[in-house]
Amino acid sequence: MKVSQIAGFLGSGKTTALMKIGEGLVKKGCRIAIVVNDVGEISIDSKFVEANGLEAREIAGGCICCQIAGSFAETLVKLHEGFNPEIVIVEPSGVAIPWGLKRAAEYSEAKSDMSIEHAPVITLVDATRIDMLMKAVRRLVETQIREADVCFVNKVDAAKAEDIAKTEELIRNINPRAEIAHLSSVTMEGMDLIYDIIVNRISPRYDDAVEEELLRKEYDKRG
Amino acid sequence: MNHIERAMAALTDGEADRLTTYPIACGVNRKLLGDNVTYAEWCRDPKLFADAFVAGQKYFDFDFAIGLMDLSVMAGDLGAHVRMDDENTPFVDKYIVNDLEDYEKLEVPDIKAGRTGVLIEGTRLFTEKLKDEVICAAFLEGPLLALTQSAGAERVFMDMFTNPSAVHAGLETMTEFDVQMVEAFSETGAPGLVWDYLWGNYSCLGDKEYDEFEGGSKYAGKLNKLAVDLGFANCVHNCADLPHLDTQIKKFKPAIYSMAYYPLIPDSPSAGETIEKGYADECLLAGNIDPQFFIRASEEKISKVTADLCQEVKTALCKKGLNSRYCIASGCEVPPDRVTKLENIKAVVDVTKEEGVLGDC
Repeated sequence: MKVSQIAGFLGSGKTTALMKIGEGLVKKGCRIAIVVNDVGEISIDSKFVEANGLEAREIAGGCICCQIAGSFAETLVKLHEGFNPEIVIVEPSGVAIPWGLKRAAEYSEAKSDMSIEHAPVITLVDATRIDMLMKAVRRLVETQIREADVCFVNKVDAAKAEDIAKTEELIRNINPRAEIAHLSSVTMEGMDLIYDIIVNRISPRYDDAVEEELLRKEYDKRG
Repeated sequence: MNHIERAMAALTDGEADRLTTYPIACGVNRKLLGDNVTYAEWCRDPKLFADAFVAGQKYFDFDFAIGLMDLSVMAGDLGAHVRMDDENTPFVDKYIVNDLEDYEKLEVPDIKAGRTGVLIEGTRLFTEKLKDEVICAAFLEGPLLALTQSAGAERVFMDMFTNPSAVHAGLETMTEFDVQMVEAFSETGAPGLVWDYLWGNYSCLGDKEYDEFEGGSKYAGKLNKLAVDLGFANCVHNCADLPHLDTQIKKFKPAIYSMAYYPLIPDSPSAGETIEKGYADECLLAGNIDPQFFIRASEEKISKVTADLCQEVKTALCKKGLNSRYCIASGCEVPPDRVTKLENIKAVVDVTKEEGVLGDC
């Protein structure tokens, strides 16, 4: 089962984008579950979910990876044993650490006969509020950008050109290795790229990445 | 040495026979009470809560006992809804603070009722049974953590900027709640008190913001002083990725500082680096085995990880001219999950007994 994280601070348009992405991938023939933060921007519309052949679950907006790890893993197990989705799209809380969510997802392998792979971590950055976000919650926004594989400048339909450019520059400064793209849940700009990223690309597993990093540090230490 | 002699030596950097060890095994201990005790039952019954720590001590032979329940206890008693799965850590799934006015409306509940009452009485019970064997400690959420559990972390962080006075109003209530809890814990006989000051974390807050919203004299400063004045060995736990070590160790001056390690987060400090930077000169450090190993690793793997950590710590202590100022622990709570491997907890303790032996550098 593949887990795809779509991160972003509260109000960044995560839940709306996630619903659109889920709907679009179902139309392309994928079996999709969505797991949203239950204290997120909007509630899951059960009629929308049913009408679009999705399966939906909620997880705590808990701040701490160790606090929500067990329940998140249990949610994945229940999805696997019931709906058996190919891809689970997750909207973590704006203060969750993407690596922590990967680790929690991999816990589920100990609970059920399943194996987890990860899509690249996507972070949505709200171009319409970038100045305010950087004043109010700079460190959290920087953390989410730093941890992303791909950053989407979101709400490009409503943002001014200079704010879009400023957001791109910010992302480049914080995480030069991240791919940058534009997204709009209104015009659907960037949606095909998101579908491709989620379906066709892979991001490292937590356990493999940790092993690799610890080995690297060991070699560095030995000179 | 017995557990208390060893722990006392480590607290004062005296000569100890080996490193101390305490994987933060709390809710998982209920598995030792039989298959029928769910998390929901364990965290609502002071006798079950205490019995699990006593059973855990007997089975694992730890060097400390710390009465962590979970991080939704205070928020739940304030009125937030807590989702209580049978086998997982409970968590808040409906906040009590939903708009700015709600911060002002928070009121300290009756701490003898609800799960705070269970926590206090449970701590008293396990301390009574274990006090001659190990150093026991109560566990309590710091004011900012209790507030984010009640209001949602994203909301609180945004309100710190847009409506700081509302956040301060909430923090004042949480601090008063904590004052009452500390006073109640002082009657339990537990010699230690562990604070969870999670948000002292550079991924979320800078020094200035942390000082204003927790680290300063109005909140953590006041609570730390109260704990010390009441005779507690005041301790801090912070499982975040980039902890505010200068504030939480050098300024708070805890007896024990428990922390995690995130090898994939740039600048997350390893055990060796933390000792090297002088923080073990200030207090007994504790960490930092990845909690996932208690679920997913083989016994052989976690034994190797523990042995490697013992070696790293001993080498770093020697370089700094220190004796015993590190406790082999888990950084975060050992997952209280039905699939957590008890044999892996035991392996950490047993390997520390062998590989953590201290001698001449």
